[in-house]
Amino acid sequence: MAIVNRTPDSFYQPGVTWDQAAAMDRVHAAVVDGADIVDIGGVPARPADDVDVREEIRRTVPFIAAVREAHPDLVISVDTWRHEVGREACAAGADLLNDSWGGWDTRLVEVAAEFGAGVVCSHAGHLPPRTRPFRVAYPDVVEDVLTGTLALAARALEVGVEEERILIDPAHDFGKNTWHSLEITRRLGELVATGWPVLVSLSNKDFVGETLDVMVDERLAGTLGTTAVSAWLGARVFRAHHVRETRHVLSMVSAIRGDTPPACAVRGLA
Amino acid sequence: MITGAALCPSPPLLCPELTGGRAVAPELRAACREAVGRLLREDPEVVVIIGPAAASGPWFGVGGLNRSMFAPAIAGTGSDSPPLAIGLGSMLLDQAGYRGRRSLQAVGHDEAASVCVKLGAELDDPSTRMALLVIGDGSARRSLKAPGYLDPRAEAFDAECERAIRTGDLGALQRLDQTLARDLMATGWPAWQVLSGALASLNPVAEVLFSGAPFGVGYLVAYLHPCSLSAPARCLSRTVIGRTTTPAEYSTLMLTSLL
Repeated sequence: MAIVNRTPDSFYQPGVTWDQAAAMDRVHAAVVDGADIVDIGGVPARPADDVDVREEIRRTVPFIAAVREAHPDLVISVDTWRHEVGREACAAGADLLNDSWGGWDTRLVEVAAEFGAGVVCSHAGHLPPRTRPFRVAYPDVVEDVLTGTLALAARALEVGVEEERILIDPAHDFGKNTWHSLEITRRLGELVATGWPVLVSLSNKDFVGETLDVMVDERLAGTLGTTAVSAWLGARVFRAHHVRETRHVLSMVSAIRGDTPPACAVRGLA
Repeated sequence: MITGAALCPSPPLLCPELTGGRAVAPELRAACREAVGRLLREDPEVVVIIGPAAASGPWFGVGGLNRSMFAPAIAGTGSDSPPLAIGLGSMLLDQAGYRGRRSLQAVGHDEAASVCVKLGAELDDPSTRMALLVIGDGSARRSLKAPGYLDPRAEAFDAECERAIRTGDLGALQRLDQTLARDLMATGWPAWQVLSGALASLNPVAEVLFSGAPFGVGYLVAYLHPCSLSAPARCLSRTVIGRTTTPAEYSTLMLTSLL
């Protein structure tokens, strides 16, 4: 899942795909590099200037329509918590609603059902959209993630979202400190064991930065290491800035597990 | 008899085990150690920890910070976790090697100021040497990278708190707007009210040991003592003039009393 931010102020390479032509170039490149999904967002997760519904729609929906036209078979995800945006996005061709803020807008999932779209059920630590964790504490963070995401998945089913279109996401960094994000990574198998496909969004996040004590432009190795561990533990979708590198890691893990053969194996075989 | 009060903030990062390999905020930690050290040098018979929490009331459970709530990789205490402020206050006493009596008092975030002040005023017991460890934080909206993002009102709010404490003008704490404090995520508000109720009438002398917002949250570390305890001459001077002195006047009075 390639990240395409239609924002001027996201935390990683802010504004790099703010221009629509640059964003479309990014989509083309991501597809060439192996992305199966693009995740288009119009509002940064961190607190900053307000982006209202109208502006979020303006940033994302025409672009979604353009991507749909350019790539008819690409899975298009929209990163939003608002049902109004989800509705317009689905009408423009989006297939998946990436609800990063954990069902804050309870009507979003109803839009997914209405359009036959998918939905990502995330654990945002009970925080309102665009808020940072402040001294968050959990008796058992994984238990809280399981309870929250399973409840959202159950509601998605209840309102009519098709079972095969539901994913769960522990949402690293959202409502969590670094220790919590490491814990949900270590125990990702508990999420996988629920049977729901697990999405992880790890790319260049603060828990990687704090673990390695590196700034945002030095987090690729940490991101890829965490990607490998998560893949080994059974995660199925990886939201990423670096598509080609992520694809390579996933191909390696898949080959190590024996799920796929090497692309080309001749060493010692000639 | 209240022997003194230490004021410390409650970021979980005060706990060394929670911050990983690097020493985080060493100056802040040192200031807290110094404040608690001064508190204990007065040889109290009991230390009352006062900290904000979801609801008011004494805490009778295990007092220590349950580190596993913040870092699941660390073994937990296996019991009910105290409110963060209470747990961190206990940790600071443990770090100082204090083994004496301690009393844990939570104050609700939404408690009315008058209730908090009354609670503080009723703490004093003339027959017991009592020290107060007051745990509270300034605004968590001091910078763009703050937990609550930047609120331009935050710095002035925290500055007024600091002024009130630095000058011993604790009555001013009672005039802090509770709604504004909530907007600014200044979680220390109720604990400061208790501090005000406990010490405002005792003409406290304060020393601020740390003031800053290195992570976007206002941290204030201070030590306050009723001036009658260790500087009777200064108290006499302040009583004579019959009003709160300015810092400049106070310096003059100190000099006069020493001469």
